[in-house]
Amino acid sequence: MTLRTLVTFATAIVLTAGAALAATHGGDIVYEKPVKGVIFSHKIHVEDKALSCDMCHNRLFEMGKTAQEKADFVMESLYQGKYCGACHNGTMAFASNTRCATCHIGVKGQKRLSGGDKHDKKGH
Amino acid sequence: MDNKMDLDKRQNEGIENIPMQQRRDFLKMGLAITGIFAGGSLLSVASTFNRAHASDFAKKYPYKPHYSMVMRQDRCIDCERCMEACVKTNHVPNVHGAYRTTILEKDTPDAIGGKREFIPVLCNQCNLPQCVRVCPTKATYKDKTTGIVMMKISNCIGCLTCQEGCPYNARYFNEEKKAVDKCNFCFDTRLVHGEKLTACAFACPAEVRIFGDLSNQEDQVFKLVHQIEKQVWVLRPEAGTRPNVFYTKG
Repeated sequence: MTLRTLVTFATAIVLTAGAALAATHGGDIVYEKPVKGVIFSHKIHVEDKALSCDMCHNRLFEMGKTAQEKADFVMESLYQGKYCGACHNGTMAFASNTRCATCHIGVKGQKRLSGGDKHDKKGH
Repeated sequence: MDNKMDLDKRQNEGIENIPMQQRRDFLKMGLAITGIFAGGSLLSVASTFNRAHASDFAKKYPYKPHYSMVMRQDRCIDCERCMEACVKTNHVPNVHGAYRTTILEKDTPDAIGGKREFIPVLCNQCNLPQCVRVCPTKATYKDKTTGIVMMKISNCIGCLTCQEGCPYNARYFNEEKKAVDKCNFCFDTRLVHGEKLTACAFACPAEVRIFGDLSNQEDQVFKLVHQIEKQVWVLRPEAGTRPNVFYTKG
């Protein structure tokens, strides 16, 4: 195998991976802090609602960083218009203090997404 | 044959000619019948509920403090902090099916907005507890002061009849204790030490579980149960056990 074919091969892999990433738009993010089982679906926001990347990936959510590491990533901040609350304020999208279980899929929802715990353990 | 002919030929008399007293009797009969039929479900709930709002609450809530919990159901997000706190506080073994409190999930795919509801459940500390009624050894009993349904584990023979009797699936067999175990509102682990809340209510970040004294008119539990703006209900009212865990929304 020549160096040239190797390089071509590597480029192809990188391109395919890049395309896959773009297609899923970052996929589903399930936050575990401060509470477990909170979903953000890139599909719903980018494909279904046709929002552009920079609507959130400006000062609201830094790309490549997880918001849950920040201490103010709590509902109170959302009510003040930070993070999800920038749109989820009751005018642009449903208000952050309504429809709790839409984003809060819970520990059960999280387990279903990860495919584990098939028999849906009810207790602990 | 003649009779049949007569019946076929008869004209509708209309209601104009029926005396008022007859019409009243007929309506009363109808009400009585529907009352009986709906007695097991809706009407009986409504009527017992109304009675619970009556001013003779002291008689209605005979315990002091009359411990009770109100679940503000729509606020539950299934983060399971309550379950974790309960396990830690009450040493619930990590075995499938062993719990003192858990969270049920109800899918609502056709609903506008939310796709699911979470329903936290625990022992309802019933006023007419079936578990107590069926226990052959009096290992489970209704505490005369607090109204909490408690366990005397040394009396438990593990026959599990109480599990069968409980409409709320609130009991499990604890292999370590060799006895049935259940929620007792953290009586031995927190309340006797002066804590005001159960472990689950204390741990809940969404203030779903409101715990308090139903016999105290100043208590939040009393106020939530006795307001009329929001609907308040209990689980499985048809079981007739008069639970002390109430549910509401908003």
